[in-house]
Amino acid sequence: MAVDRASIVDGNFREAVASLPPAPRRTDLDAPVRHGAAVTARRALAVFESMVASRHLDLQARVLKGRGEGYYTIGGSGHELNAAVAEASRPSDPALLHYRSGAFFVHRGSKVPGTTPWLDVLLGMVASSDEPIAGGRHKVFGSVPLAIPPQTSTIASHLPKAVGAAFSLGRRSRMGLSGPEPDDAVVICSFGDASSNHSSASGAFNTAALADHQNLPCPVLFVCEDNGLGISVRTPRGWVGARFAADPGIKYFGCDGLDLVDACDTAAAAIAYVRRTRRPTLLHLRIVRLLGHAGSDVEQLYRTNTEITETEARDPVLATARMLVAEGWLSADEVLALYEETRTRIAALAEEAVGRPKITTAAAVMEPLAPRDEARIAASATRHADEEARLAFFRRLPEADRPRHLAMLLNRALGDLLMAWPQMIIFGEDVARKGGVYHVTADLQKRAGVGRVFNTPLDETAILGLAQGAGQVGLLPVPEIQYLAYLHNAVDQLRGEAASQSFFSQGQVRNPMVVRIAGLAYQKGFGGHFHNDNGIAAIREIPGLVLGCPSNGPDAVGMLRTLVAAAWEHGQVSVFLEPIALYMTKDLHETGDGRWSFAYPSTDHTVAIGQARLWSADALAPEGAETAPPPTLTIATYANGLWMSLRVAARLREEGHVVEVLDLRWLAPLPAEDLLAAAGRTGNVLVVDECRRNSGIADAVVALLAEGAPGCRLGTVTGLDTYIPLGDAANLVLIQEADIEAGARRMLKP
Amino acid sequence: MKRALVLCPGRGSYGRDSLGSLRGRTSPALDAFDALRASLGRPTVRELDDAGRYSALRHVAGEHASALTAAASLSDLELLDPARVEVVAICGNSMGWYTALGAAGALSIPACARLVETMGNYQKSDEHGIVGGQLIYPCVDEQWRPDAGLRRAVDEAVADIPGLHHSIFLGGQAVLGGGDEALTAAIERLPPLTRGAHRFPLRLPLHSAFHTPLLSGAAARAQNELADLPWQAPRVPLVDGNGRSWRPLHADPAALAAYTLGPQVNEVFDFTTMLRTALGTYGPDLIVLPGPGSSLGGAIGQVLVALGWQGIRSKDDFVARQGDRERGPILAAMRWPDQRAWVMDSSNP
Repeated sequence: MAVDRASIVDGNFREAVASLPPAPRRTDLDAPVRHGAAVTARRALAVFESMVASRHLDLQARVLKGRGEGYYTIGGSGHELNAAVAEASRPSDPALLHYRSGAFFVHRGSKVPGTTPWLDVLLGMVASSDEPIAGGRHKVFGSVPLAIPPQTSTIASHLPKAVGAAFSLGRRSRMGLSGPEPDDAVVICSFGDASSNHSSASGAFNTAALADHQNLPCPVLFVCEDNGLGISVRTPRGWVGARFAADPGIKYFGCDGLDLVDACDTAAAAIAYVRRTRRPTLLHLRIVRLLGHAGSDVEQLYRTNTEITETEARDPVLATARMLVAEGWLSADEVLALYEETRTRIAALAEEAVGRPKITTAAAVMEPLAPRDEARIAASATRHADEEARLAFFRRLPEADRPRHLAMLLNRALGDLLMAWPQMIIFGEDVARKGGVYHVTADLQKRAGVGRVFNTPLDETAILGLAQGAGQVGLLPVPEIQYLAYLHNAVDQLRGEAASQSFFSQGQVRNPMVVRIAGLAYQKGFGGHFHNDNGIAAIREIPGLVLGCPSNGPDAVGMLRTLVAAAWEHGQVSVFLEPIALYMTKDLHETGDGRWSFAYPSTDHTVAIGQARLWSADALAPEGAETAPPPTLTIATYANGLWMSLRVAARLREEGHVVEVLDLRWLAPLPAEDLLAAAGRTGNVLVVDECRRNSGIADAVVALLAEGAPGCRLGTVTGLDTYIPLGDAANLVLIQEADIEAGARRMLKP
Repeated sequence: MKRALVLCPGRGSYGRDSLGSLRGRTSPALDAFDALRASLGRPTVRELDDAGRYSALRHVAGEHASALTAAASLSDLELLDPARVEVVAICGNSMGWYTALGAAGALSIPACARLVETMGNYQKSDEHGIVGGQLIYPCVDEQWRPDAGLRRAVDEAVADIPGLHHSIFLGGQAVLGGGDEALTAAIERLPPLTRGAHRFPLRLPLHSAFHTPLLSGAAARAQNELADLPWQAPRVPLVDGNGRSWRPLHADPAALAAYTLGPQVNEVFDFTTMLRTALGTYGPDLIVLPGPGSSLGGAIGQVLVALGWQGIRSKDDFVARQGDRERGPILAAMRWPDQRAWVMDSSNP
């Protein structure tokens, strides 16, 4: 049986403190806690109380686990002097904490009246719905009054948004806006030594340094809590110091994180440096890990007993107690009284936590995922600047212009939105002077300013990190990912971070965004896979995320207005997938017919989330044709599939077949009601999905109709499960009009 | 051994049926208050308590009610049995904060008496000492469930009526403060309600508009007149009207003085947050309410219900728990002999 290291560390503390020799009593608490220290005895004692509380929360986590009441035992034992960073910072400095920064959390709480951080941590451990930030959905360190947005356990994935928030503070100020945190706030972000090796972390360090290199303010304090271990894997001795002390873009502060004076004074110096210079900085706390990785971890499997014992002897709570007794601020008895009183308090609070309610329904679990008030969004989506401002921006009102293709209408919609929402920013690779690869953002920087439309480094993780940080400080980010294939190296920033923020904070912490992505295939053989990606499964599977995919200009404008409004009103995270092949498409049936060019819709035109558009057989008929009889087939499709299906339907109409085409427009959530209504009308639905069979929407639509419309005849035409090749070979694996037509004819047979 | 949170009541604690409750009691706290009051030529607490009849001018007026409440509360706390009760934190409602300072040792009892006398005397009823006034209005239904409509009515009244302020967030009740004109407007505007024997809005007689900006002058005067009060760190943790803990090991006496004679006087007093954070920080088994009355019990119960503390989620739960002979009450109001028995040395009368 494994030795219970928690009991040993606990016992060691009591035994060692009891044997400490007395020292002459000192009472001037405003004196330095130790000769040469900047931190006073008064503040050191407060930090010590938080350290003791954090230790006992770890011990209590194991008690609760043992009783079958607790679900989380990863703790911060050995890391307790991260409380020094809470001591040195202001409670209004946003802090993105990893799962070992419990002492930071309780210490910041001790500085903000009206908060109950000990109870909150315990409520998190027992997964109670009363836990104030995540409501039992996860055990996180998070609190709105403490300016601590909750982070989950993913490794280093919170660093990009910390950089994004730091960068956005300066940008917000430049835009003449303000938010909950003061303009001179410092963004704090803690993580472990093993996480510092993650590519997300490296990207964040690089982005911060790159901003600094361009003299752009990026007041972020990276706090590396270096305990020398990533679960069982040793970080090579000296690596963290060697790596960061030599980094030209990031100022380095290192300290002994087991010594209260060094930790407090160095943390204070580091915070002061960031606040004054607005430059990215790293604080390296050299510490130890006690009690193993988590309650279930048996350290003896990968460390010798001697190593474990030697590490335990370096316990920072004990070291601090020794110092406070030796300096005459506390007696050994007072330390032990505080230690036991804290244990008792936490045990009592744990009993309270155990009795608190849990989440009991699936609906309650999912409540924060999509808290949308459609009427409120619709009202907000029509927001627009006055005519004078629009004339100044556009020179000629876009609705007065002749019909235009999708890219042009999108460009104008973005211009209108920039005017309507002064907090909105557009950024991405090449979006500024070049105006994007497809000119969708052309001239926007010139008209809205370099502060609001700007290029980013070539790093999608950084782009989405910036979007999250910008959203958190009150901006309205509309980032662009240049091609769908480029999203995939960074999709965790949407999946694990942006979209989960509402879930893990019950909507209290928002990172609104509309991520524009140019995607899908049919670029006439050009570009191969990386410019013709048609896999959307990685987006569609993200809980709560909205995925819109327009097929034409007016729909695109209305959908974009809705998504921007939903972002602002509800913190909605959405992806707007723009079909590249339709950007410049002007015609539908014949070259020069202009039937895929449209007038810019008026400012009151919006498209509700989840609302499909029906292209009836009459809408497709040539002018003067007789009114069509009821349709006998519905083609359910979107984007390029819609454009092709309309052409096929028109040809079938000439043969007397009446086919309606339903543009789904929203791929997540799917327009279920409209699909079921179509099934009710025709009882015959062909799903035309240009994405790969295993990565599109066909299976979901078929499942929906199979269950929701029993008896409805169903068929599918989909792309093949392959990467897209270069040249004409692309057409071999993408659906073609002939495939759609064949599918439709199959379905039209009695 | 019960771990107890002591909650010292505000000056409304001493009521008609409190008369004579201190008779025959041996108490250093009563002695200290009486010595000070005698030296100032004011009727002693014992004399007030021993009066033949209850009168507003002698028992409700601030210059007497404050001393009666504080002295009686401190005197009750002397009776706590350390073998039964461990006091883990102390807080107080409104002027009960002054009592709490004395009970926690942040002020000696004579210094506490001086603070109470000074602040109470600013409300002297016969020298135009009363500044504005207070009214109370419920924001919960009969079962202590929050009523959003009533809460909104109060908030809108405060927003709309010039000079009307939130004074105390008192559990399920709002205490508003302001000048006569503002209070009259509030009384006209808030829908009339009956709760038990009381009708609301209820104007509190002979009360100043404490915890509002109207008392800024009193705060400044107190800072001057009480500049020499000998403050010290408390022996027992204190939780103030913002929910801040003042910890024995490192509380700053100067900051404690600045709070007590500053924001505590002229900014809103958040009883609800105070009690919520005291519970959520110290995890007591029991709340002890010393003093001659128990009218604060409702506000305490409302906070417990809002939190679901110890499983109490309704007024009925609270009432049931108060009668639970096995577990004992959650609230021991020392005014009531049966509840007092849970916390008192039985050998002491």
